[in-house]
Amino acid sequence: MNLQIFVNALVNAALIAPPAMAFSLLFGVLKFPNFAIGGYITLGAFAAYTFNVPLGLPLPLATLGAMLFTGFVVWLAHVWVFKPMQDQSAVTLLVVSIALTLILESVVRLFFSADVRGFDIPLERPWKFWGARITREQVEIIACAVVLATGLHVLLRHTRIGRAMRAVADNPMLAAIRGVDAAKITALTTVLCGAIFGLTGVFAGLDLVIEPLVGWNLTIPIFAAAILGGIGSPYGAILGALLLGLAEELTILVLPSTYKIAVGFVIIAIFLLLRPQGLFGTAEIKK
Amino acid sequence: MTEAILSVAGLRSGYGRTVICDDISLQVSAGQITCIIGPNGAGKSTLLKTIAGVVSAIDGSIRVAGVEMAGLPAARVAGSGMAYVPQEANVFRALTTHENLAMGGWQDEGRTQAARDRVYDMFPDLQPLARVPAGNLSGGQRQMVAFGMALMLEPQVLLLDEPSAGLSPLMVGEMFETVRRVNAEGVAILMVEQNALQGLKTAHEGIVMAAGRIAMQGAASELLNSADVSELYLGSRI
Repeated sequence: MNLQIFVNALVNAALIAPPAMAFSLLFGVLKFPNFAIGGYITLGAFAAYTFNVPLGLPLPLATLGAMLFTGFVVWLAHVWVFKPMQDQSAVTLLVVSIALTLILESVVRLFFSADVRGFDIPLERPWKFWGARITREQVEIIACAVVLATGLHVLLRHTRIGRAMRAVADNPMLAAIRGVDAAKITALTTVLCGAIFGLTGVFAGLDLVIEPLVGWNLTIPIFAAAILGGIGSPYGAILGALLLGLAEELTILVLPSTYKIAVGFVIIAIFLLLRPQGLFGTAEIKK
Repeated sequence: MTEAILSVAGLRSGYGRTVICDDISLQVSAGQITCIIGPNGAGKSTLLKTIAGVVSAIDGSIRVAGVEMAGLPAARVAGSGMAYVPQEANVFRALTTHENLAMGGWQDEGRTQAARDRVYDMFPDLQPLARVPAGNLSGGQRQMVAFGMALMLEPQVLLLDEPSAGLSPLMVGEMFETVRRVNAEGVAILMVEQNALQGLKTAHEGIVMAAGRIAMQGAASELLNSADVSELYLGSRI
C-alpha cells in the first residue's frame, strides 16, 4: 500500500487529535458538545495571521499570541454565554454553540473578508522518502501534536490540577464536597482548551489555508474523532483521530476526494448506532 | 453527656421555595454514632446535604466545633473538620483508588501521603486496588474508597448518607463493622439509614424523622425498644 496514504493520515491525525482531545476535555466539564470550536479555530488562525503578517512577528511568537488570545476568548464565551445558560439542556447549549461559531466566523469575515490567506513563511520543497512526500510544516505539526498529547497526558495524570480537571469532569458535585473549586477548575480547562483550539488554527493555516470556514470544515472530523474514541476520553480522541485520518485517506483510493468529508459523518452515524460510548468510553445504563 | 462536636439548631432547608426540612435541632457528641431513620421522603438525606453545604440552609444554625457553617458552600465546608459521604456517586469512577484518596486530601496536599498510608492501614483491602479505577470496583469496595476519601483530612465528624444502600446482605454487615471501626478512631458519625434495625444497633443515639421534622430522638437502645418505632420502622421485630 502507498506510504503516502499513511503520511497523509498521520498529518490529518496530528491536525485533528489535539482539538479532539480539547473537545473531549471541554465536554467532560461542561457536559455538552461545544460546536463553537469551529469559530474558535478560525479565530486562532486569523489571530496568528494578524500577529504574523500585518504585525510582522515570527510564526512561533504569533502562535503563542494566538493561543493566548483564543484561550481568553473561549474563557469569555464560557463566562458570558454558556455559564449563564448552564441549567439549560445539552441540546439547547449545542444550538447556542453553533450560533456562536457562526457569529465568530461572521466577525472574522467582517474584518478580513472571505479572501484566502497564508502565513509569512518561506516556501520550501517537500522532503521525499521511499516515494512519499512531506513538507517541513507537516513534520512540525506532527511533532507539536505529539508534544502536546504527551504534555496533556502528564498534566491530566501526574499533576494536582489535572487530577482535579478529571475529578470535576467525572463528578462535579463530589469534587465540590471534597473542597475543589469546580468553577475555577472549569475556567482553567476552558482557557487550556481555547489555547489548543488557537494552536489548531495555526496548524490548519500551515497545512490548509486561512479562510473564515477553516474551523467549520474541521468541526465534523474533530467531533467524529472524539465520538470514535469515546466522547469525554481525551486519550480515546488520539486513537479516534488516527483512525479517522486513515479512514479518510483510504476513502480517496475508491472515491473522489470530495467525499472525504463524508467519512466523519459516516463514522459518527455508525458509532452512535452501534457503540455510542465509542472505543474508550464507558456505557451507562439509564435507570 | 460529652461535648457536642456538631450542633444544629432551628434548621430549615429545601429546594427552591419547597421546604423539605423544618425546625431541625440536633447534637452529635464527640466520639458518638447518631443514626437518623424515617420513611422515604422524610427529609433525611436533604438534612445531611444541608449540613454538608450541598443544599443551602434557609434558616438556622450549623456549628462544627463551635464554628458556624450555615450558608457556606460545600467546597468551604470540606475543610471544616466535617466530611460528607453521599449515598450515590460517592467516588470518582474514572480515577483510581489512589487518585480518589488524593482528591479526599485536596485541601491539604502536604499531608496526603501520610493520610493515604493511614487510610490503607485502616482498609488494607484497598492497597491492592490502588491502581484500579473506582468505576471497576464492587459496591462494597467503592464504599470503602468513599469512606477512605472522607477520612483523608481526619474529620472530627463524618456524615454518612445510607452507607448500606445497594450492598449485598454480607457486605451490609461488613459496612456497619467499618462504621464502628471508624468511630473507634474517635470520629463522630451522623448517618442516615434505611436499614433502621442495623443502624440503631450500631448507633449510640437515634433520631426519627417524619415529614421534614424530628419526630423522636434519644438513646438508640431506647428507640430500638420503643413500640412506636418498632411498629413503624423495624417491621414485626416485637
